[in-house]
Parts: sequence; structure tokens; C-alpha cells
Amino acid sequence: MAKVLVCGWDTQADGLAPGVEETLTLGRKLAAALGAELGLVVLGSAPPDAARVAGRHGASTLETLADPKLAAGGSDARVEALAQLCQAHAPRALLMPQTFDARLVAPRVAGRLGVPIVMNGIDVDVENGALRVTATAYGGDTHALYEIAGDGTALVCVSTTALRAEPAPEPRTPVVEEFPVDLRTVTERIRVLEPAKTEGPRLEEANTIVAGGRGLGAAEHFAWIEQLAEALGGMAGASRPLVDDGWVDASRQVGLTGRITRPALYIAVGISGASQHMAGCSAAKTIVAINRDADAAIFRHARYGIVGDCHEILPELIRAARAHRAGGS
Amino acid sequence: MRIVVCVKEVLDPDAVNSFAVAGRLTIGEDGTSLTQSAIPRLMNGYDEQALEAALRLRDAGASGTIAVVSIGADPANILRHAAALGADEITHVAADPADRADRAGLDGHATAALLVAWIRSTGGADLVLCGRQASDDDQGVVPALIGEQLGVPVVTIARALALEAGGDAVRVTRVTPDGDEVVLAPLPAVVTISSELGTPRYPTAARKLQARRAKPAVVTLDALGVAAAAGAPRVRLLRQWVPALHGHCELLAGAPAEAADALVARLIQDGAI
Ligand SMILES: Cc1cc2nc3c(=O)[nH]c(=O)nc-3n(C[C@H](O)[C@H](O)[C@H](O)COP(=O)(O)OP(=O)(O)OC[C@H]3O[C@@H](n4cnc5c(N)ncnc54)[C@H](O)[C@@H]3O)c2cc1C
Ligand SMILES: Nc1ncnc2c1ncn2[C@@H]1O[C@H](COP(=O)(O)O)[C@@H](O)[C@H]1O
Repeated sequence: MAKVLVCGWDTQADGLAPGVEETLTLGRKLAAALGAELGLVVLGSAPPDAARVAGRHGASTLETLADPKLAAGGSDARVEALAQLCQAHAPRALLMPQTFDARLVAPRVAGRLGVPIVMNGIDVDVENGALRVTATAYGGDTHALYEIAGDGTALVCVSTTALRAEPAPEPRTPVVEEFPVDLRTVTERIRVLEPAKTEGPRLEEANTIVAGGRGLGAAEHFAWIEQLAEALGGMAGASRPLVDDGWVDASRQVGLTGRITRPALYIAVGISGASQHMAGCSAAKTIVAINRDADAAIFRHARYGIVGDCHEILPELIRAARAHRAGGS
Repeated sequence: MRIVVCVKEVLDPDAVNSFAVAGRLTIGEDGTSLTQSAIPRLMNGYDEQALEAALRLRDAGASGTIAVVSIGADPANILRHAAALGADEITHVAADPADRADRAGLDGHATAALLVAWIRSTGGADLVLCGRQASDDDQGVVPALIGEQLGVPVVTIARALALEAGGDAVRVTRVTPDGDEVVLAPLPAVVTISSELGTPRYPTAARKLQARRAKPAVVTLDALGVAAAAGAPRVRLLRQWVPALHGHCELLAGAPAEAADALVARLIQDGAI
């Protein structure tokens, strides 16, 4: 039976990485359209709930690829492991959430196997037997429909923020097996001299984000963004120009090429709402826009808006937020 | 040391954004391409930064050549810009990635295959620098495909790079979600550059004038001997459209204090704070 595989790895100790369930949802749609079987693949040892999650989304198999070389996180091992998996199963499609690492590993696997790849996927379908992938382009200003020729394996990286995970109508109990990967010949060519070290919480996990843009006017005004974020118990983010100009650290950048966030509340201050920025925050449950230009694109994404000068509004908003906090409600 | 910088000509993304915001971004009759002829074409921003990275390596003492290559319908302008900035060689590989006619269109694999064929035909490269992604298709796959086809390591999303003393490795600072990571990659290698590298330099007026006469070397597919490989893209753009956006924004009016209080009240009511 033809296979559709979903692969994840940035596994956290307590569960599967964000985006895996949304990707499984797309995978299930594709498997149904192809009359194929859906499987979940986890590089490294699977977290305890992986089988349950796989089953809930209709996967009939859960495969783990365990090798100490995979645990180290190097891309040479991951590329070789996924290449071996694809060669063994010849899946019709291998889908993965588009994480930072996937952006490198997926196209390398495609290169190694000489198979087609599409990034930024938001939908998949089958037409006359051919795979079709809808992806964003121009930061999201447009959507593009790609058709993939042939019936070999295709790789799709899925941009999961705008997607909703929907469990299968009928859960299954997946067969859990270990895929016998052979990484004896792999020696990572790239040596990590200084590993990245996360300092403090990450924007990706923030429940509330207050983000500032070029409309702040001056670097010192970013302090307002931080104060408002603090008053709301959230984190401060920024649009790219603030990072480009060195006002804030790159870890603050929200957007297509920055952090892809999914907070409950996103307050955008002095941000125009360019597609590349919205790609990193449009999945927020509630977006608030503060901008002096009533025609700014951000208002089209926002639930609430204040048209006005952020220099006047921010101090008032900080006051009101602090009062709410002090009220303890 | 031979550094190859791969540059793509794209529609100015800021102008595309402006058209989109104004609701005037439209797709042509072919169903795939943007119609705005008023949108300027320029070098992909990250590619300009990739060239900047090459120039910084030279400033830091690297000897050898910086060769800039572009596959496109007519990238002479961006190649001249590269020459004005200090590229030693500029080359146009004559194929149009945007040509939707079945035989001529290029997907990532075909683009990478052409770049690799050209790199090999010119004696190889010690370092291939690319942008992290092209701002039109946002795919970011060509550099990794080049790396695999050449069989060399690929380092993505760099903000800084430095050659090791012996010249046989490159030290790269990557911008990761967990902060900066410093890695060492043996050469030859492919490195992709991100915006965190910083603003690229401007050409001096004199060099700009000089570069006006610069003529890119034109290489045909036949000369590369890869016409057949590039003929049939397996990833084909069928349609492109501008997604509809249905906003329902409630504007909170009044003096700043009033508007701020009203907003906080709404957010409390919604359970958002
Ligand atoms: C390939 C690519 C990738 C990109 N990736 C990202 C990304 O990851 N993240 C990102 O953010 N951008 C990204 N960009 C850039 C993006 O296209 C926009 O240029 C950027 O988001 C604009 O930032 P901004 O809204 O802060 O600035 P601007 O567009 O300049 O907007 C400033 C806004 O502030 C308002 N304003 C001015 N003064 C005031 C005031 N006193 N009070 C209130 N409002 C005021 C203005 O009306 C305006 O709407 C990318 C671009 C490309 C081409
Ligand atoms: N037509 C092209 N000519 C030269 N370089 C290209 C071309 N297309 C892509 N590249 C390089 O590959 C990078 C990523 O492109 P892409 O995979 O299309 O997003 C770009 O930033 C360029 O450095």
C-alpha cells in the first residue's frame, strides 16, 4: 500500500514538537486522497505520548529512528537517516513541519535523493493522480499552487501556523516499530564550536506578545514595548527593521524569517502589517493594532485597533494594563 | 580562493507589498505571474548580503576571485550592480526560471543543476554563497540542492563568516531560534546568508560609472551541456493568486487614555488578558 509519512524530530521531553499534529492532519488528507496509509516517523526516541498522538490522527504506524548520531542533532545524520527511510518505504510523500532545522534538512534530503520538494506548504491535494501543494509566496502576498510531476516520493515542508490540527474521526492503534537505520558511515562534517544557548523564554511559547515596529521612531521607545509586555505578563517582539537597525536582538524578530509565533494575544505597535511580518503572527487568536495610519494593512488582520500616535497611546496603555494587573482580576 | 555568489533577480518585495496593501496586486492571464510592470526588478536582498559577505571576506584578507552568477531572463542590471560593488567576474546563465512554458521553466533542482554545472565548468568553487531564500518564491531550497549535488556541506542562515587561517575551513555564525551558534565547516562549502549580516555597502559613483560598461559573460544551456536536465521541471507552478483577507477590526476611538481603557476593557471581556 502506498504511504504518506509525516516526520518530526525537535521533540520535547514531554511531547511531540509543535506543528506535528497539524502536519498529520494534512498528511491524513493526502493519504485519503491517494488511498494510502499514514505513518508518523520520529527521529530519535519518541516521547511517551507519540503513539497516542499518531493514533488519534489516524496513523497506522509509528516508526522511530534511534541512533546516538541522531541524538546529537547534526544534519548529516538526519539527512542520511531520512534518505534511508525514503529509500526503504518509497513513500508517495514525506511531510514535515517547517522548523528551523527542517529548512536545511528537507531540501538536502531532496537533493540527495533527487526528488521534488516544496516549502511553505499550507495545503496538499491530488488531481488526476498528481500531487498538488499550495504554498505561500511573496511572504504571503500570494498563494501558489504547485503540481509535482511523477509518482515518486515528494517532500513537503508544512508551514503549520495557519493550520488547525483535527483528529481523525476514528482513532487507531498504530503499530510501533523501530526503523533500522545505519549511520555507520556518517561523520558530521560541520563541527559546532559554540552551541546556541537559549536565554530565557522563547517568543514561540509566549501567550502574549507586544511587538514594536519602525513606527516607534527611536530605539529608546522600545522600552514602552517591554513595559507593556511586562504589564501584561507577556514578551516583547519586533518587526525586522528594528533588528536590522540594531535596536533589538534578532531573537525578537517576528515573521517569515524570524519567529513564527502563535500567542493568544498579539499587540502590534507601529507595525505596518507587511505579509512577511504577518507570517509570524497571523495565527494569534486576537491581534490588536496601534498605528497612526488608518489604512495600514495591520488593521485588516486586527480584531481591535487604535488609530493614533503610539507615543501618546503606549503610556496610557501601560497605565491601564498595570491598573488591571494591580486590580488582580 | 574562488568564491561564487549566486544572485537572483526578483520583483522588489516592498513594492509588491505596497500593491498588495492597496488591493492592486493582480495576476496575469497566464494565471501564474504578477502583472505589475511598474514593480522594479532588483537583486534579491539576501543575495546582495551574500555578495556583501564575500566582499567582507576579501576586506579581511582573502585573496582570489569573487564570481557572481545569475540564472534569469535578463539579469544584466543586477550583475552590473555586483560588478560595481567589486565582483571580479559576472556571469549570466541564460535560462528563465519564470518562463512557464513547459520546457523552459526551472524548478529548484534544475536551477541548482545549472548553477552546479556552471561552477564545475569554471574549475569549481571553494565557497558558494547564496541568499537564505529568494523573496519571490520564498523556497530557500536551491543552496541545499547545490550542496548535495556538489557533495559539500551546507551551512544556513549565517550572520557572519570568517576564513580559518589555513584557508581550508570557514567559521560561520548562524542565527538559530536558540540564539547564535558558531560552527566550523571544511571547504568547499555552501553558506546561506540572512539579513542579520547587516546592511550591504553601496557602490561608489566612480565604480558605478565604470560598471555601466561591464558586460556579463553569457553562458547558454547548450554550452553547459545540461539542456535536457533543465527541460522538464518536476515542480511546476500551476496557478498563483492573491488570497482574500476579510478583516473585522473594531476601532476604539477617543483620546489616548479613553481608547487605552476601552481596549483593556475589551481584552478583559474576551478573556485575552
Ligand atoms: C524575504 C523577506 C523576509 C522578511 N522577513 C521579515 C520578518 O521575518 N519580519 C518582519 O517584521 N519583516 C520582514 N520583512 C520585512 C517586511 O517586508 C517589512 O518591510 C517590515 O515588516 C516592515 O516593518 P515595520 O512595519 O516595522 O515598518 P514600516 O513598514 O515602515 O511601518 C511602520 C508603521 O508604523 C506606523 N507609524 C509611524 N509612526 C507612528 C506613530 N508615531 N504611531 C503609530 N504608528 C506609527 C506607520 O503608519 C507604519 O504603518 C521581510 C522582507 C522580505 C523581503
Ligand atoms: N535563478 C537563480 N540564479 C542564481 N541564484 C539563484 C537563482 N535562484 C536561486 N538562487 C540562489 O539560491 C537562493 C535561494 O533561492 P530559492 O531556493 O529559490 O529560495 C537565492 O537566494 C540565490 O542565492
